Parts: sequence; C-alpha cells; structure tokens
Amino acid sequence: MCAVIYTEDLTKTYGKARGIRDVNLTVEEGEVFGFLGPNGAGKTTAIRVLMNFLRPTSGRAEVFGRDTVKHSVEIRSAVGNLPGEFALEDKMTGERLLKFFARLRGVKDLGYARELAGRLGADLTRPMRRLSRGNKQKIGLIQAMFHRPPLLILDEPTGGLDPLVQEEFLRIIGEVRGEGRTVFFSSHVLSEVERVCDRVGIIREGELVDVEPTDNLVNKSFRHVRLVFEKPVDPGPFRALNGVENLCAEGPELRFTLYDDLDRMVKLAAQHRLVNMEYERPSLEEIFLTYYGASEEEDRDG
Amino acid sequence: MGELALRKPSGTLVALVAHTLRLQLKSALIWGGVLGAYAAAMVASYLSFGDPQQMEQIMAAYPPELLEAFGITDMSTIEGYLAGQVFNLAPLALAFFPILALSAAIAGSEERGTIDVLLGNPVPRWQLVVGSFVATAVSLLLIVFIMGAMMYGTAVLADTELGFVASVEGVLNLWPISLFFGGLALLCSAVFHRRALAIAVPGLVLLAMYLADTLGRVSEDLEVYRDFSVFYYYAPEGSAITDGIDWASFFGITGLAILFALFAVLVFRRRDIYT
Repeated sequence: MCAVIYTEDLTKTYGKARGIRDVNLTVEEGEVFGFLGPNGAGKTTAIRVLMNFLRPTSGRAEVFGRDTVKHSVEIRSAVGNLPGEFALEDKMTGERLLKFFARLRGVKDLGYARELAGRLGADLTRPMRRLSRGNKQKIGLIQAMFHRPPLLILDEPTGGLDPLVQEEFLRIIGEVRGEGRTVFFSSHVLSEVERVCDRVGIIREGELVDVEPTDNLVNKSFRHVRLVFEKPVDPGPFRALNGVENLCAEGPELRFTLYDDLDRMVKLAAQHRLVNMEYERPSLEEIFLTYYGASEEEDRDG
Repeated sequence: MGELALRKPSGTLVALVAHTLRLQLKSALIWGGVLGAYAAAMVASYLSFGDPQQMEQIMAAYPPELLEAFGITDMSTIEGYLAGQVFNLAPLALAFFPILALSAAIAGSEERGTIDVLLGNPVPRWQLVVGSFVATAVSLLLIVFIMGAMMYGTAVLADTELGFVASVEGVLNLWPISLFFGGLALLCSAVFHRRALAIAVPGLVLLAMYLADTLGRVSEDLEVYRDFSVFYYYAPEGSAITDGIDWASFFGITGLAILFALFAVLVFRRRDIYT
C-alpha cells in the first residue's frame, strides 16, 4: 500500500494563536481514517492545509505523492472535499450547482449524483436559500462524492444530518472503502468513527497525540454503568471488582465507571434481582479527558 | 496509487465565467434598466423644453463655473444636454456595479463561506480572479448596452435627432472607468479578507477622484489635481457623446483596470483563505 496522505512536521500557526504543530501523519490507500479531536483541536486547520486553503508555516504535506502547495490543482482533481463550515450559492438549485461542478471536473454523467441524492433524501430542485442546514449538508456531501474521487476529505460530514441519513451516509462510506478508495474524515462522534474507520488519529491542542487502530481506541474506552436492583445491595463486592471506579450507591441503585472485567460485573449483578441496567459508552470528550486530556497546567508542570 | 494520473481539467475558466455571468444576469438587467430609464427620462425632459434657444437662455442664467464643474458646455443639442445630465454623473452610479460584484468575488465569498466549496474543485486561484473580472466586464457591457438602447430608442420614438454613433460612444465610454473601480475593488478583495473594506476603499477613491476633477475644472489652483483623477481621462476634452471617444484614454483606463486584476491574482495566489 502507498501513502495517499503524508505530512511531515506540518505546522500552521495564526500569529500567536494555535493552529497545528509538527503533525506527522500517514494515511494509506484504501483505508478509512478518522481524525478525532474536540472542537478547536486543529482538525479543520489540518484539512484546510491539505486542501491548500491555508499555506503551511513549516513542514510539508503530500497527497498522492504531490506537494499540496505546488500541485494543489492536480490534487483537487482527485479529491472530493466537504468543508467544515460552508455555504452554497443561495440562488442556485442543487441540480444546477452539481452541473456546474461537473463541468469544472469534466464529468459528463450525473447519474451517481442523482443516486446519492435519492439515498440521502436530498432535494436537488429547490434553491439553496430554501434548504435547511441538514439538507444543505446533503448537497455538500453529494458534491464531494458524485465524481467518485480516489480520496474523500470530509470535515464533520454528519453534522446536521438526522440519524437515518447518518446511517445511510456511513453505508456509502463503507461502499467507498469496498471500492478501494480512501476516506479521511474528521469527527467528534465516537460511534460513527467506530462503525467505519480502520484507524484513528487523535489531535489535541494542535498536536497529533496518537494514531492507532479504531478497535484499540474503542476497547480501551470505559463505560458508565447504572444498576438498579429490587432492593439495596452491598456495594462492597462491586467496588472490589477489577476496573470499577467512582462507585456511588444510593438505595437500590449503583453507579460506577467500568474500565475492565465486564463479564465478572454482569455475573455479580446477576446474583441479585436486577430491575434495570444501563451501560453507556462515554462521549469522545470524556475519552479525551481520560486518555489524552493532560491539562495545559500539567504540560507546563511536566 | 503512485501511478494515479492527476490532471488539470480544461475549460474551467470558461465554466467560471459562464457561472458568474449567470449569477450576475438579474442584477445586470436591473442596473441597465434603471440607468436606461434615467437616460430615457433625460431625453424626454430635453424634448419638453422644445426650443433650443430657450435652453441657451437657461444656461446663461447659471454661473459658467457651475456649468463647467458639471461638464455642461452646450445645451443647444441633445448630445450636449445628455453629456451634462447623464454622462457626467453616470460613472458615479455605474461604478458601483463592478465594485459590488468584484468585492464579492474573493472577500465576499470568504465571508459567505462559498469559496471553500468552489476551490475544492480543480480550479486554479488565478482563474477565480480572472473569471470574475471577465464576467463582470461582460455584465458591464450588457448594462451600457441596455442603457444605450433605452436612451436611443426613446429618442427614435420621439423623432429626435440623437446620433446613433454618438450614443454608442457615449455609453461605451462608461465601460472602462467603471471597470477601473471594479478592478480596484477586486484588488482590495484579494488584499483584505473583509468585503466592507473592498467596497469602502474604491468607493472613497471614486468620490475623491470625482471631486478632484470637478474642483479642478473651476479652480486653476486645483487644476493640477485633475491629472490624478481617472475622471479627467474619462472626458479629457469634452464628453464622448459630443466629441467622440478618446481612444488613448479608453485603452489606458482599461489597461489600469486589467493591471489591478493582475495584482489581485498575484496577491490571492499566495495568501490564506479564511471562512
């Protein structure tokens, strides 16, 4: 496999404000790569540098082996991009806009665009000014994908989409991977990353802190557990379980964070009459805080 | 993936110009209609005076400096009347069409957030600048054509002796001076990230140059400042509708407008895009 995206010490700063710092990243051909980080972490800046909307302060980036500054136009001919914050010409309908983009790309057939519109439930006949945020997002996704680019770079692609459309979008991403194409997308929603990504890169405060297979990230994440029994139980055995932290007992209810040993916890709970059980995955923000969330004060102290 | 053939698509500049023209068409028709209606109304108002001698008497009642300041030299002919009433003032209004259009091309697109989607396509940045400039220049031609057609059409319907060639030269001479301020707006749009600045700077330059030319006509002390005003070169000897187009000035002003656009290309090629 070859690197579709390669960055070396890629840095972009805005005066004194933070951008990205020394990002070293490789995305291989045919993989779906999730770029994760809380808001303001630098995801959008990194994507905008790859698209040559922003010029690197130092370091370099390559897409398909070409320098992103020197060969930007050639690169964009093979990339479908959904920007994070975007608008479309108010007066134009989706159909007219896609015809314009097809002309810019030398695409003759809009059949796949119409297929995507059907699957995502996008209305191509109404002017943009009459579309909701979610419907504009659908048009944005279609314009990124309709020409079947070898690389998709998508910034928060599911923002504003309802759950059914999100589901369909993730199916489409699965198909794109099945065709051997590459997807690089930023997100802060762990569940969608878990569904489709092969690997994830974690960016925090402008620095790429980790790159690992998605399974590793998901497996090392903890769960919030809430057990409600018919009558109060002794919390001691639960507290003694390996991986149980922050246990709180209130009457018949136990709440705790579970890092490990799900099987033993379930077996222990099954010894009592269980009325309700909630097993909730943490938000990505919580995972960041737990695994990557060393505060700036700690950084300074360190 | 190393063998992936990456290519620059062809025909993108033509597509960009056509796209921009389509977006500008409605406003160009409105601008042409409004300015054409004004010019037609001036033709009709000239006819209402009836006798050219009556017009000469009205002129005699005004101080010559005032008439000079507003470019009114001869009201005994309809061309002379239109020179003062229409073509002396029209650039002040018409220049705002390219200023508004070209300030939106870069800074406006950044503010609206449309530029990322457009440049996500394989379009070189220079083509975005040149495409906007060319499309606006064509839209300006459409506006002056509509204006001229309505002005001349009214004269024909009223059976007045307004020369066809004089009419064409009068309206065509509006094109370079308006494009000059459009080019300046495009350059400001490339330099600044704020559309308001890209409108304000050429707007202020327009006003300053108009005042420099107007005051320079009435005051010998201020006459030297006319050299720095594009309005002086717009009508160096007289109005284009009465004396014909000064082609050296016509192409000189057009050249400056193109120069602004080229500077805009140079600036925009190297700068970051913010949305």
